[in-house]
Amino acid sequence: MASKTNDPAAHADDVASRRGEVSASLAHACARIKDVLTYSSAYLVFIAMIEVLTVHLVLSLPLSPAPVVVGLVTFSVYAGDRIADADSDALSTPERSAFVTRHREALSLLTAGAYGVAIALAIAGGPLALAITLLPGGFWILYASDWFPTLGRRFKRLKQILVVNSAMVASAWAIAVVGLPLAFAEATVTPLSGVVFVYFLVDTFVNTEIPNVRDVEADAADGVSTLPVVFGIRRTRHALYGLDLFLVAFVGLTLAFGPLTVALAGAILVGLGYALVLAWFVGRTNAPGRLAIAGESKHLVVFALLLASTPGI
Amino acid sequence: MLPPTTVVVPLLFGSVAIGSGAAILAWRERPNPGATPLVWLLGGQSVWATCIIFSLSAESVSGTLTWTKLGWIGVMTVPVAWILFALEYTGRDQYITRRNVALLSVVPALTVCLALTEQYHGLLYVRAASVTADGAVVAEQGGLWYGVAAAYTYLLGVLGIVPILGLVSSRATAFRGQSAALLVGITTPWATNVLYNAGALPSAGIDPTPIAFAVSGVAYLGAIRRFRMFGANPAPTWRAKEFLFDHIHEGAIVVDGHDTIVEINQTGAAILDVDVDRALGSSASELLPVSGPIQADGGRDFLTIGTESTSQSYDVTVTELTDRRDHTLGFVFTLHNVTRYLQQQQRLKVLNRVLRHNIRTEANIIQGYAERTADETAKTIKRRTMRIVELSEKGRDAIDLFEDAVGEWNQSSFNSLVGDCLDGARDAFPGVTFELTRPTEDAPVPDGAAVVVNNLIENAAVHNAGSDPRVSVSAWVEGDRAVVQIADNGPGIDEYELDILDSGTETPLRHGSGLGLWLVKWGTETIGGSVDFEPAEPTGTVATFTFPLSGSDGRTPAPRDG
Repeated sequence: MASKTNDPAAHADDVASRRGEVSASLAHACARIKDVLTYSSAYLVFIAMIEVLTVHLVLSLPLSPAPVVVGLVTFSVYAGDRIADADSDALSTPERSAFVTRHREALSLLTAGAYGVAIALAIAGGPLALAITLLPGGFWILYASDWFPTLGRRFKRLKQILVVNSAMVASAWAIAVVGLPLAFAEATVTPLSGVVFVYFLVDTFVNTEIPNVRDVEADAADGVSTLPVVFGIRRTRHALYGLDLFLVAFVGLTLAFGPLTVALAGAILVGLGYALVLAWFVGRTNAPGRLAIAGESKHLVVFALLLASTPGI
Repeated sequence: MLPPTTVVVPLLFGSVAIGSGAAILAWRERPNPGATPLVWLLGGQSVWATCIIFSLSAESVSGTLTWTKLGWIGVMTVPVAWILFALEYTGRDQYITRRNVALLSVVPALTVCLALTEQYHGLLYVRAASVTADGAVVAEQGGLWYGVAAAYTYLLGVLGIVPILGLVSSRATAFRGQSAALLVGITTPWATNVLYNAGALPSAGIDPTPIAFAVSGVAYLGAIRRFRMFGANPAPTWRAKEFLFDHIHEGAIVVDGHDTIVEINQTGAAILDVDVDRALGSSASELLPVSGPIQADGGRDFLTIGTESTSQSYDVTVTELTDRRDHTLGFVFTLHNVTRYLQQQQRLKVLNRVLRHNIRTEANIIQGYAERTADETAKTIKRRTMRIVELSEKGRDAIDLFEDAVGEWNQSSFNSLVGDCLDGARDAFPGVTFELTRPTEDAPVPDGAAVVVNNLIENAAVHNAGSDPRVSVSAWVEGDRAVVQIADNGPGIDEYELDILDSGTETPLRHGSGLGLWLVKWGTETIGGSVDFEPAEPTGTVATFTFPLSGSDGRTPAPRDG
């Protein structure tokens, strides 16, 4: 039973102890929130929505349900992929795998429901918006599911084929991120939208290969051919440098001869500089998970710069 | 353009969200039975609802009509997927062959083709009927083929419900919960569709059936999650019954009330030397050489098939199948191969004759020759030949036991059985004092018990070489069982003998001293009794033999396989 005391020293200790408990509880809650955001791919949802908003901003499109749809689809596909690969991920990401296994039922319901709502929202955007919304899910079935190999010996999971795997992921997301706002706005495809598409395509490819460095052992065990598995980490780093430098050149050319504005080119180039720095850390950091998150977070930098440089916002 | 703002439209959006979400969940449940067809069903429903939304939001009449036509893809996917789901989920997946799926898809494929080309024939017309207050065009559909498609859809719907209904009567509570959810899931859209086609629903001309399929989606989700639809699956139950029917060693033939073979297993077909497909639909009286009208329930006869050297004999049992009102539905013939049993019975008969007649005759001749001399050797020869005769009689008792084991025991009076046994023992062992406590109440007992009681008394007397050998026999009735207790003051039964009996077998190096205790063991087993041996104080053994009384009809069915 607790007892009251008028001893000032004891009172101070009690307060300090309570403060300690509160801060410990806060730290515990923050850690749990961080786990949920990280392991369930919820942070990717936020970044994907920022990417779509970036497209809205760059192409001057009216706001639409597109960011929400892309966010829901992102959550559904990535969390669904983690559910499917929970067992094989136990080697490379044991904590994430344990989280997914523990919450498999809830995640399964949430991911299915999220895609269902995304489809229903996309219908409001018309047949093209619906088709684009279905694309990541369809690509995921071709990419990761074990359904494709059941069609015959010649077929195997596209996830296992070098470059094709990352190219598919990049294509699906680039089409969704750029195409969905266009479809909702019933806008036509312009040269500027083409430039934005190429940027997201190459950038997503790079961001897909960064976590593959961490997963190199698990991927090799699973028969998945990625750049780090086939060429090694050093050459992968060089390849990522090359892709980022290609984008730098591409942005420079489109700035000189194409539709890119200085503000937009500047924001993208800052982002690419950030990406080149991150590429240097590939295979040289003890926190590969954070590196992957940092790679995705580049879009926040670009979006913030664009917001700052856009008059009237 | 957004679709009109009637209440039906948001419900259509909701049905797509729920339907496609449920489809993803069902996809993840593969390869569990029913999961893949459920994906198609929910996918078809979502396509259907989506096409209705697009047709309502189309900015031109031609756009409306195009989406209405495309909607037929979803419309016609649903019934095919439903019937496949019902079959697979209830374990009847042997009907889901590529050929059958193709046949089931003929009408749906034709319907879609006719809808897309309706302007050339009008068999399934799609035309603008009205415009809502929001300016949306509502399409009207009809024509001869529309009726065909509707009838086909309802037919598959009803056919799919039939196997699911079987689960409702299942003894497993989980299956009943699942099937109830499934029935809600499937009857809601069908009922909605019927009401819509009958014009009984105020839906502003918009087909609300896909919305009802949203209810299906929720029901299926409930079935998946709450009732563990795919976790506790009835499919093995159905397959197990089929497996047992197909793989039992007995031939099984099901005949309907019109003498037609409606089912036959592989063993049955092999016995009758016919092909299963040829046997089905054939006349039973032609294939089965059963004389006269079929005798059901216990009607048993031997059926011999083949030539003499390779002939096989079968014990034919006919069981009547009745409905709840005891009306005869048909008969099940089971053919149990008894060739080896009959061969063994034949051998036992020969052995019986040898033991009963030949050995005794030969022993008598030896004794006759021995009596010609009068020395000690002659006495020994006579004693030993008598021993041979006794052994042959025990052997004969054993053969009688084995023969009776496959038939039925005759009954005896318990009181007279123990009395007769003791009278025989008094004659055989005049130097032993016998005491008998008769049962206070008499009861019918199988006469096979006499072999056991005789040998237990003999065993108690023959080895009792003391100065005052005594054997006391007590008999009483305990419920439906008779008890005979034999106590002696002899040296007791050798543990070695009991061990051999427990092991159930002898070897040339490890065997008992005679047949008596084996007869006790075999006799006890064949009449379904038990015997216990306990040491008595100060010396001797107490043997307690417990066995069932005969039935009220005075006959005791013997265990068929001993």
